[in-house]
Amino acid sequence: MHAIPSTYAGVADVVAVLVLLTEFAMLRAPLLRSQVKLYAFQSLVVSGLAVYVAASRHINDLYVLALLSFVLKVVLVPGLVLRLLRDAEVDLAGSSVLGVASMILIALGVSVFGFITVGSLHVHSIALPTTALAIAAAVVLVAFVLIILRADVVSQAIGFFSLENGVSVASLVVAAGLPLVVEVAFLFDLLVAVVVFGVLMRVHHGRTKSLSTEALDRLKG
Amino acid sequence: MSSILVVLVVMPFVVAVATIFLPVGISKILTVISGAVTFALALALVPTATTHTQIVTGSMLRVDALSVVFLVATTFLYGATAVFAGGYLHLADSPAGTRYGRRFYAGLNLFCWSMVAAPLVNGLALLWVAVEITTVISALLVAIDDTDGATEASWKYVLIASLGLGIALLATIIMYYAGTTVFGSAYDLSYATLLAGAGRFPPDVVRLAFVLAVLGFGTKMGLVPVHTWLPDAHSEAPTPVSALLSGSLLAISFYAILRYFQIAVRTLGPTFPRNVLLIFGLASLLLAALYLLSQRDLKRLLAYSSVEHMGILAIGMSFGAPIAVVGVLLHVLAHAAAKGTAFFGAGSVVRKFATKDMTKIRGGIGALPWSGAMLVAAVLALSAMPPFGIFRSEFLIVSGGLSDPRDTAAAVLVILVTLAFFGLSWFTTQTMLTPDLTAVSADGTAAVTLAKGEVSAWIVVAMALGLVALVILGVHPPAQLSQLLNHAASELGTPR
Amino acid sequence: MLLGPSVVAPQGVQALQDLTILFGAPLVSGVISHVEGRLQGRRGPRILQPYYDLAKLFRKETVVTEESSWVFLAGPVVAFGCYLIVPLLIPVLTTYGLPLGYMGDILGGGFILALASFSVALAGTESGAPYAQLGGSRAMTFGALIEPTILFVVFAVALITSTDLPYALAATVRSSSSEMVRPGHVLAAIAFFMVVLVDTGRIPVETHSGTLEFGMIDEARTLEHSGAPLALLKWGSAMKQLILYTILINVFVAPWGLAASGSPVAVALAIPALLGKAMVLGMIFAVIDNLFAKLRLFKITEFIAAAFLLAVLAVLVFYAGGG
Repeated sequence: MHAIPSTYAGVADVVAVLVLLTEFAMLRAPLLRSQVKLYAFQSLVVSGLAVYVAASRHINDLYVLALLSFVLKVVLVPGLVLRLLRDAEVDLAGSSVLGVASMILIALGVSVFGFITVGSLHVHSIALPTTALAIAAAVVLVAFVLIILRADVVSQAIGFFSLENGVSVASLVVAAGLPLVVEVAFLFDLLVAVVVFGVLMRVHHGRTKSLSTEALDRLKG
Repeated sequence: MSSILVVLVVMPFVVAVATIFLPVGISKILTVISGAVTFALALALVPTATTHTQIVTGSMLRVDALSVVFLVATTFLYGATAVFAGGYLHLADSPAGTRYGRRFYAGLNLFCWSMVAAPLVNGLALLWVAVEITTVISALLVAIDDTDGATEASWKYVLIASLGLGIALLATIIMYYAGTTVFGSAYDLSYATLLAGAGRFPPDVVRLAFVLAVLGFGTKMGLVPVHTWLPDAHSEAPTPVSALLSGSLLAISFYAILRYFQIAVRTLGPTFPRNVLLIFGLASLLLAALYLLSQRDLKRLLAYSSVEHMGILAIGMSFGAPIAVVGVLLHVLAHAAAKGTAFFGAGSVVRKFATKDMTKIRGGIGALPWSGAMLVAAVLALSAMPPFGIFRSEFLIVSGGLSDPRDTAAAVLVILVTLAFFGLSWFTTQTMLTPDLTAVSADGTAAVTLAKGEVSAWIVVAMALGLVALVILGVHPPAQLSQLLNHAASELGTPR
Repeated sequence: MLLGPSVVAPQGVQALQDLTILFGAPLVSGVISHVEGRLQGRRGPRILQPYYDLAKLFRKETVVTEESSWVFLAGPVVAFGCYLIVPLLIPVLTTYGLPLGYMGDILGGGFILALASFSVALAGTESGAPYAQLGGSRAMTFGALIEPTILFVVFAVALITSTDLPYALAATVRSSSSEMVRPGHVLAAIAFFMVVLVDTGRIPVETHSGTLEFGMIDEARTLEHSGAPLALLKWGSAMKQLILYTILINVFVAPWGLAASGSPVAVALAIPALLGKAMVLGMIFAVIDNLFAKLRLFKITEFIAAAFLLAVLAVLVFYAGGG
């Protein structure tokens, strides 16, 4: 049907698929701690992808970016969230609205939608093959599903962070040449957002003594 | 000229840092001064922006007529809210109170700094960063009151708004990609570059970027169906913050959408972007009008009114006639003033009656002769009564819509606005215009007679400022301002 | 059998395929059990033990319950027959298609394997014993749940090669090294690996070596049989295992070592190549057996959902951009 893509494209796509699979694994992970570790793994894969693109396509800015995102997303953010979990001392298991198999099926349907939508765009990029963009769109959509279907604060926060991972993969595909200043600004912004998430998670825990969002239904109408 | 921009960007930030160390009393004054100065500087930019297309400082700051409109709106509300906050905040004379005051003022100034920076920055990437900063700071401010409701509202807000901004980031990247097809891979996302090359961008990609931008920034603007955080956040935040959220932040998010609209119109022609805005606008207006009829919480009522007005803005942009676009921009200014005044009045009522529940509030005008009357005026202004500015702007929008061959949208707009008027006026008559001076006490049992009198003079001054601005905008906007609006509208308009 | 001095007739090769599967299957089973025993610190059964077991079973008498009918005895025979047909359709020894190989494609092979499974389950249920019925119903349920995954794997193969003849995919994989790293291919291979795991009843789906009623699926179906039918059943399940391994190896993962021509040397070398690769794969399964715990019965749906996910993603990745 299509010509066999090059080895570079194949490997890059496999790494991108790994990001997507980690997202699905986060849907399934029952313990909050394992979700955080999965997120750390996912960020590691994304940083690795950035290094691979940088090495193969000779875009040196991406090395700096990969290093920064490694420090931020693999070390700092999971560290912060794990510290919160340790301090919380309750609710180590997340709660979810549906069973695992149903969630996976819904997430699968949503990914199909993402694949087909992006696939119809015919994006061409020197940095990564088009499939990677479709995969990034699927990661973003599955992150949405994760946030909607999980009913505790940490899962929702991790879902948001993994959405940002999906956007990072997308930016590797179409915007690998984005000026470094801008990319660093994005990362810095993410750091600030993470800090705020952390503060609000602690506030939430301090108030409701739990990490579940089931109590958050007072304000209606 | 360029130094004005630098001062505008730097001043609120410096004041914010200073308030961490200064006593709260001085911070209050400092904030008011900062607000007044930034407003004066924004006004000083008006004549230049009308004549020149752009003013550039370095490569990061840029101002054109469109940005000055939003700048004027934001800085006005900055100053007015600073005055209001001075009178509204009751700080205990304890370390906790001082800490709250310091945090509050630092947060307020930082929040206004980010909102002033957003129209000033050059380029879609920096715009995204500025809007993201507004989100994080305002999320902390919503949570500052440490009640159950505030906690819930702030979590919902930060989650949904950050999701929306994640989508907006995707939109930025996709728009960047559209540019790379014309400019090659290393270029910055500055407006001038993008607008110059917009005609040659691939249409499908720009279509996707625009829809994602409307969805993403629309989350922060309060467009249905991604508005769900809005009523909660605006009602649970401290009232000065609510005023800024409703009056300025929604407008800044709309500004971001307008920037994408500008580019999309040059690539795709006017039809598709306008239709997208029309759909979201109609949904917002419809939902808000319906919800307005059933509100019990005073600040929630005003929050839904904000959703309604954002819908009007979106629908106005979808009309496309230049007069409608002028109306939209005027509406941004007038809504900032009106919504600010309304929230100030609501804050006064809440302080007086110690509740937000409208069924427990009676005899507002009797208890609060000045702020009560001005609150009624502000609510009427929000319902587009003359002689206030919103009447003029909605008039312009509707007449622009009626000149369009598809004028059903204009008709629907008028009907829904009337519906919203019913919702708002029910509140006005029930709470403010009833004669008795009693209120139900906190536990709902005895009727307590309240002392007649204002909560604070500062609040009255702030509301007066807002109403004066509204009257000026409604009766006779200054000539320079009208020229600015016309110029901005032509920048947004479609090249024929 | 020899057409000329140096070519084996295609029909001969086809018969050889069947015979290889037939006689090689117990060997592969034996190797797996032996390796598993070693990994657990035991000496492990003899590698040729399955042959001795089959010989012993054929000598024993057959006992049949009173309530069962001819179906009870026919089931194992039908299954065995199916397992003899499928090797004709898949690339076991050669890279080129053989005469009867065009009788059915991967889907056809899948149907025949499903028929075999069905007849065994039917025979077990027919006996009226509760454990056999339990096993039969469980096997049919999980078999049905794994079907969509198999379908999507077949679709993935079809998307690569525009046919679903297994020979074509093997050729594609051999033709370029970058085919192996295509994400769609990798995903389809892993999905099929999980399918094999479910269909041959290994950890984490079922304990291969014991008969715990909490988790028995395939083992339970054969509880009531004895003597020659039981021998046919055991042989048949070993053959099924080798067939699935063959498909996995020769179509997805390592399609090298197959005879490219009809020369006797090439064909003769292909036999140990296949059996060797199957033993390596079997050892991998043995290692997995010892690394993981069995899943509880209702969690198996999660496992199957994961396999389904991988298969669908494989199709999507192919569809979305030639990946």
